[in-house]
Amino acid sequence: MQDNDLGKETSYSDKPFEFTGKAMEFFSIWIVNVALTILTLGIYSAWAKVRTHQYFYGNTKLDDATFRYLADPKQILKGRIIAFAFFMAYYFAGLISPIAAGIIFVFILLLIPALIVMSMSFRLRNSAYRNVKFDFNKNFKRAYLIFSMPVVFIGAYVFIASQFQPEVTVDTNENAVLSIMIGVLPLLILFLIPWWEFMITQFKVLNSKYGDAALTFQATTKDYFKMYALVMLMPMLALALIAVIASIIIPMIGLSGVNPFDFSGLTVMTIPIVLIILLFYVWIFAYVQTKRTNLVFNNVNLNGHQLNSDLKVGYMMYLYFTNTIAMALTLGLMMPWAKIRTAKYKASVTSLTPAGNLGEFASMQLQNQSAIGEEIGEMFDMDLGF
Amino acid sequence: MIKGLYFDGATSDKKEVFLYVTDTGRIGFNGINKEPLSFDMIKVSPRIGNTARYIDLQDGAQFETEDNDAIDDIVKSLSPEKFNGFIHKLESVKRFVLLTVFIVIFIAWGFIQYGVPYFSREFASMLPDDASEYLGQGILETLDEHWFEDSQLPEARKKELTVVFNDLLVEIGEKNIVLEFRNSIKIGANAFALPNRTIVFTDDLINLSNSNDEIISIMLHEIGHLDNLHSLRSTIQRFSLAMFVMVITGDVSTSSSLITALPVVLLEAGYSREIEAEADTYALEKMLKHNINPVFFATIMQKLEASHSSKYLECRKNDKYSLEECLIIAVQDKRESGKDDEMIMGYISTHPLSKERMQRFNKAAF
Repeated sequence: MQDNDLGKETSYSDKPFEFTGKAMEFFSIWIVNVALTILTLGIYSAWAKVRTHQYFYGNTKLDDATFRYLADPKQILKGRIIAFAFFMAYYFAGLISPIAAGIIFVFILLLIPALIVMSMSFRLRNSAYRNVKFDFNKNFKRAYLIFSMPVVFIGAYVFIASQFQPEVTVDTNENAVLSIMIGVLPLLILFLIPWWEFMITQFKVLNSKYGDAALTFQATTKDYFKMYALVMLMPMLALALIAVIASIIIPMIGLSGVNPFDFSGLTVMTIPIVLIILLFYVWIFAYVQTKRTNLVFNNVNLNGHQLNSDLKVGYMMYLYFTNTIAMALTLGLMMPWAKIRTAKYKASVTSLTPAGNLGEFASMQLQNQSAIGEEIGEMFDMDLGF
Repeated sequence: MIKGLYFDGATSDKKEVFLYVTDTGRIGFNGINKEPLSFDMIKVSPRIGNTARYIDLQDGAQFETEDNDAIDDIVKSLSPEKFNGFIHKLESVKRFVLLTVFIVIFIAWGFIQYGVPYFSREFASMLPDDASEYLGQGILETLDEHWFEDSQLPEARKKELTVVFNDLLVEIGEKNIVLEFRNSIKIGANAFALPNRTIVFTDDLINLSNSNDEIISIMLHEIGHLDNLHSLRSTIQRFSLAMFVMVITGDVSTSSSLITALPVVLLEAGYSREIEAEADTYALEKMLKHNINPVFFATIMQKLEASHSSKYLECRKNDKYSLEECLIIAVQDKRESGKDDEMIMGYISTHPLSKERMQRFNKAAF
């Protein structure tokens, strides 16, 4: 047992997160999951998902205690069956009649905000730490308000654009003004993306709870504009770079008498361009992931306890790049290894600065929660996490 | 004595306690004031690798420990159930895991090689004709909008070919197939079989041929697509493949969706090649049965391939040469350079190597 004073002192210093998973161990779990999923024609996938989550939660440690995933596989299976039915209906309706598919698509689109709320709620209510569950306040009204904003903007734009088709307008002056408007408006909408992401993240954080304590969020829209500024600048730089390289290479090919449309010539010309695009793609991916995670974590506060995240873009790029290559070379068999090392790195740069004793949080009484929201969301490939 | 952490469930407060088993098989905790509980009053979480184990008590409290083996011993001696930890056993015995790896690879291979094509063939034949009708109508409208223009062929030529086509249909015992002509600068020489039983020839392809038998051979290839419901099948194949990849990979958040897109693209190209080969088989069989020399398919294929080469496109820009001369130049160039892969990229991946295809028909020629 620890000395009382010493115990107090350590509880106030930064507490690091730790991930103790091992690649080989997770590989065994993963491959058995895959085999049983195939052998049961997908039914086991619900159990597989729970086991995978339990492995990752259980290996995430903070202050000697682990996180715990509590979802009931049977509930997840129910959600999966409904989601699968939706997906099938959408896919095959598309074959038979685009209108029917359109109706299903719009229906699902209208459900998305509710699905996101339900999914957040399901995930958090089934997550626990120190035998205290997380929770999500199901604020459907606010979810619909936030998620309908881009629809309103884009709808307004489409309406304006459709009102003034070139053949309808006779006055050329008016035409010019309108074409500028129609050209500038999408840029304005693009400009709203950082603000929108801020609204969504804020919504998610502020409605999250640990026990009966609500999270607070200190980030501002300014932080999000800053984060996106570089992302929006980089494509222009990349394009310029590609243009420069192409302008050097194409005349060279022309001189040597190789037709640029020739397949062999095309490979010579495309290799550097494809490499740049690939590198750029990985960079964007890593940059956004890294900055976004850091931004959210560093601004989330729970009763004065502060989360810290210090992910580095360079290292994330290296991780993604090597993960991709390893998985491509082994036909996906290295995926468990990739997941483990990524989780390890993420945990190693995450910590908690406690404001006091971590034992102060009180539980809330919770009811059971349906998994339907989470599963439909996953089927349609939405990003539902933080 | 098993060392662990005790959480009462009311707050996040943590206590270090020791779990012990009494002589009567009850579970007690040293360090807190609690009566020992019988085994059916607690719930032990399943073992997952070496992650922490949780024992849930009836009153909502929880005991957490990393001593997995000790917990396993308790469960083994006290639990009446026999299948405890069955999944964990699969996961932890190296022989099982290795066996599982082989099973997964074998099943995945079998499913992709035989399962998906078989399933989609059966399913396509089950779907009502309406599905094909709608699908085909939609495709033709899209093509007309973005790729096709009206055919520039003389009416007499179109009529002649339609008669040839209808005679062919009667001869091989097919009906309800419509022949359409379109011009397309973007696509060049090509022919399409749409699921609503419509076959579209581009003007360029008609112009490449110097005998109607060549066109008949292409018609037969396209009828082969229709006869085998290839459009529907490839749609269903694409769907089942996507589902399969999704099930296996789960969420691949550690890299990007690029990694799962790549194998799907490659496999789809493989299925597409298979479908083309099937249509070739159909054409070859019908040609032999109805006494049409298979060599015509090989000759039109050679010209078709040449017409997509850069040499040909370059030549056609020059007004000095006629279409025939350009074709000869392109075929010659191909023969000399010995390059078989000099085609537009989409063509190389989705169709079998045309050299092999031509050889197949040349061998059967008479």
